[in-house]
Amino acid sequence: MNLILSDRPFDLPVDNRSMEFIDLSRLKISNCMGCFGCWTKTPGKCVIRDDAVKVYPKIAESNRVLYISKVKYGSYDTVMKTMLERAIPVQQAFIRLLQGETHHVQRAVASKRATIIGYGDISDEEKEIFTQLIGRNAKNMCFEDYRVIFLQENELEKAVRKEVMSWGK
Amino acid sequence: MGKIMIINGSPRAPKSNSKKYADLFMKNCTVPTKYFAITKKNHLELCKTMEDFTDVLFTFPLYADGIPVTLMNFLKTLEENPPKQKPRISVLINCGFIEPEQNDIAVKMLRFFCKKQGYSFGSLLRIGSGEAILTTPFKVFVTRKIKRLAISVSEGRNENLKATMPLPKKIFVRASTSYWENCGKRNGITREQMSIMEIEKE
Repeated sequence: MNLILSDRPFDLPVDNRSMEFIDLSRLKISNCMGCFGCWTKTPGKCVIRDDAVKVYPKIAESNRVLYISKVKYGSYDTVMKTMLERAIPVQQAFIRLLQGETHHVQRAVASKRATIIGYGDISDEEKEIFTQLIGRNAKNMCFEDYRVIFLQENELEKAVRKEVMSWGK
Repeated sequence: MGKIMIINGSPRAPKSNSKKYADLFMKNCTVPTKYFAITKKNHLELCKTMEDFTDVLFTFPLYADGIPVTLMNFLKTLEENPPKQKPRISVLINCGFIEPEQNDIAVKMLRFFCKKQGYSFGSLLRIGSGEAILTTPFKVFVTRKIKRLAISVSEGRNENLKATMPLPKKIFVRASTSYWENCGKRNGITREQMSIMEIEKE
């Protein structure tokens, strides 16, 4: 499956059979409260039963993802970051060695090709931090390869359409 | 003499390891120190209170390779409501992985915030194996560094410290497996149940 996860709405021609668009700004998603319930009480399942539970299974099964997020302090801004923090049920508590570093064992998470679009007025320093963040995410979120693109908000619509059209080729 | 405001940015503040690290910091600090936890409703109050302190120590865990949303939301409020006198900001960050360096990106985000908003950056302690270290004989490795951090922050120095379990990584993986297995056991969940590959379906 191809998944588009965005912190703002878009008007996109989405083919529902193979692609899903999720506008996180329309969903009700609370902060992860760090209870580790999804690891040690109800493995693979978050104890907070809000809209996030519809999203992380889709993140796990997708083999192509496009994340679109405003950038703040070199991080995903809070709408996207809240969802990514709530996606830890896709991992186990247990730790493994990956490329010489300790990381959590993944459950049934498909390897992904990821495109990450960071938008807003982003300084070069923030771009550098954000790119490094995605490099870390790649290890923890099963990105087999990834691209990071920076845009102004008014350039998004066109760029996202172009990206999605290229998936069909 | 300075005054240090500790701000816990962990989403599970009262039960967090960040709180335990903050307690150790206070125990080892000779200047007046006061502890606060970020809640959804106290952002403005914390921004105002900050005016009474020379130093702020943010203590928080690494979340999804970055700063937890609890702290990010507070930083956004602080950006809009800066105190008249800006304190120096220090950081005590912990992650569950053995490498303290896995905290580096989150620290860069905090440094960026400080630079952009005009706060000077003080000292830093990065803790690896932070989920379990306080329950092991290696606790001393982290308390020693927290003591040094407390001195550094009190004296207005810029120190860059790190602490973790002094273990080979393969041994750490085995030890962490036992740690988590015991956490599951307390909830009546076996290692096999914790290891299921299945993720809930919608």
